[in-house]
Amino acid sequence: MEILNNLILGFGVAVSPLHLLYALIGVMLGTLIGVLPGIGPVATIAMLLPITFNLSPIAALIMLAGIYYGAQYGGSTTAILVNLPGESASVVTCLDGYQMARQGRAGPALATAAIGSFFAGCVATLVIAVAAPPLAEVALKFGPAEYFSLMVLGLVAATVLAHGSLIKAIAMVVFGLLLGIIGTDVNSGVLRFTFDVPELSDGIGFVVVAMGMFGTAEIIANLEQGEHREVFTSKVGRLMPTREDFKRAWPAVMRGTALGSFLGILPGGGALLSSFGAYTVEKKLSKHPEQFGKGAIEGVAGPEAANNAGAQTSFIPMLTLGIPGNAVMALMIGALMIQGIAPGPQVMNEKPELFWGLIASMWVGNAFLVILNLPLIGMWIKLLTVPYRYLYPAILVFMSIGVFSLSNNPFDVLIMAIFGVLGYICVKLECEPAPMILGFILGPLMEENLRRAMLLSRGDPTTFITKPISAGFIIASVILLVIVALPAIRKKRDEAFVAEEVK
Amino acid sequence: MAARIKAPKDFWAGLMFISVGAFFMIWALTHYQMGTAVRMGPAYFPAMLGGLMVFLGVLVLIESLAMEGAPIAMPFNIVHLISAVLIYAALGWIFSRLGIGGDYAILLGTVALVVLSVMFLPLTKPLVLISAACVIYGYLMKPLGLVLATLLLVFISAFAGHEFKWKEVAILFLVLIVFSILVFVKGLTLPFPICPAFMETCPIR
Repeated sequence: MEILNNLILGFGVAVSPLHLLYALIGVMLGTLIGVLPGIGPVATIAMLLPITFNLSPIAALIMLAGIYYGAQYGGSTTAILVNLPGESASVVTCLDGYQMARQGRAGPALATAAIGSFFAGCVATLVIAVAAPPLAEVALKFGPAEYFSLMVLGLVAATVLAHGSLIKAIAMVVFGLLLGIIGTDVNSGVLRFTFDVPELSDGIGFVVVAMGMFGTAEIIANLEQGEHREVFTSKVGRLMPTREDFKRAWPAVMRGTALGSFLGILPGGGALLSSFGAYTVEKKLSKHPEQFGKGAIEGVAGPEAANNAGAQTSFIPMLTLGIPGNAVMALMIGALMIQGIAPGPQVMNEKPELFWGLIASMWVGNAFLVILNLPLIGMWIKLLTVPYRYLYPAILVFMSIGVFSLSNNPFDVLIMAIFGVLGYICVKLECEPAPMILGFILGPLMEENLRRAMLLSRGDPTTFITKPISAGFIIASVILLVIVALPAIRKKRDEAFVAEEVK
Repeated sequence: MAARIKAPKDFWAGLMFISVGAFFMIWALTHYQMGTAVRMGPAYFPAMLGGLMVFLGVLVLIESLAMEGAPIAMPFNIVHLISAVLIYAALGWIFSRLGIGGDYAILLGTVALVVLSVMFLPLTKPLVLISAACVIYGYLMKPLGLVLATLLLVFISAFAGHEFKWKEVAILFLVLIVFSILVFVKGLTLPFPICPAFMETCPIR
């Protein structure tokens, strides 16, 4: 019954008028950026970080979390109506959702996505409430060797997600780790790779790198491509799915939720992996696989439920271990650190109102999202028709203000521009920026834990495989790498990404 | 030795990984202490990673000679990139000789680079103008204030697009600046100067 008491405590925090307001602002903003193509949750949260300085930690976290899972909802609207993923995790929704829209069934597709996501969100909230406390208990026993191996697993999982060559993805992770090292070495106080630039002595800010790699680089790429969109704004039709739709979608939602909740917990996982996984599962299990890609409702229901569940359970590693599983979680950690809270297993015991308040607010936020998305769908569709030439200067203004305000130093903006160029080149060379960002976040943490582990083991590297928990993580990483490298799986993975390219 | 580059994307990615990895490894080994496995010095981790990256880069490079891949669709090549970096560095050196401060040297260098790229490589317009707009915004914020910096950012970036209509961009600018002042300066009390530093009194308060 402890969970029940904890949840009551959480809801007490979450339903206070102020926190309700921040949850509402968060999910509104999240839906907005999810709907607008060309700007994702990472850039938005990075832009809003400075704003959270003035908020209480719980309000800040509630708002930022709302943006993240709100973006999953909004992204599916764009995917269904415009065949453009507003957000990377909704890529698979394009496949069948857009086809449904072309057949005049945009309404049921949108409703299925929203209801499926809501159900998944409720379940995932419960999963966090049940799974997080025991995990935090275990995490308290983790030593540096376990932390290091867990981060290795996280980085490997990130490379599995990347497009194309596995070797290139691993190289990008290493690139990120190296960039993360820039700055003052904590152990010796030596300035590393700062080249006498005083601004670099604190390292390169994560927000700056993320804005460059995901923000400006994306705008540049979009501008090169030009604008072509086909919007089904004329009529969405009736919203409610038919009884037949309902019968077909329901099992898919259940499976998607289960898969998403599980994959979200893995570091490096989260929404993207979940939605791809769920689509594959649905296609495999379906009695009519030939309908997939031609408007099968399961192909909308499963991935939509999965990406929302995954987005929420990806909070588990962040809340219990203090390890960011993806770029958004790294920003959440940044927000907590700004507030003077070191994320980790101790947060749950020391700040129960923060922990349980956040969890309860996720359920509240999900309820808001259904209200925002179904009756107000017309408003979001209007937004879809805003041309990109109005959007991108606005995005640039907000990004530049956000980066500049980090330390009131133009140098940060310069670094953002440089990373924008680097991100552009990487995309052109088919090197994924996402694994690099994760490496960048984990670089300093990994080095510190490696050093401590080696100190404790007196320089014996076998410590990582003789400790059982650590060995488990290492074995899991090796298995994951082998699986991805196997020719049969490689083919499947390539197919999944080919499907993505058809957007 | 008639190895042909079959996959240019992988080839250049491999070269990038090798050069970045080698740079980090060599720089770490020559500038910082290595230490031992028990007590790792500041050079240990970066040197290891740099070595790993070179190894991975070599693998990618070998693969690019063996397997076919798609061509690169980029509006500039490695020579342009290196010349741009060299020009930037040379201009920085010249400006510092002339006694122009670091911030203004960066600004002038950026403007020169924009002019050169748009003249010689017109297809790089989005890349160069978007990046430069951000840099100019950042470095002019303190001397010129939020209003003028935003004006420049909006107009330069709008110029990078396909269509440019004065009226539209002007309205967009007005909306954005009003929003910025209300939300960021008034609402969130971010310490941005609204007006240029040379104006003694600011009409917008």
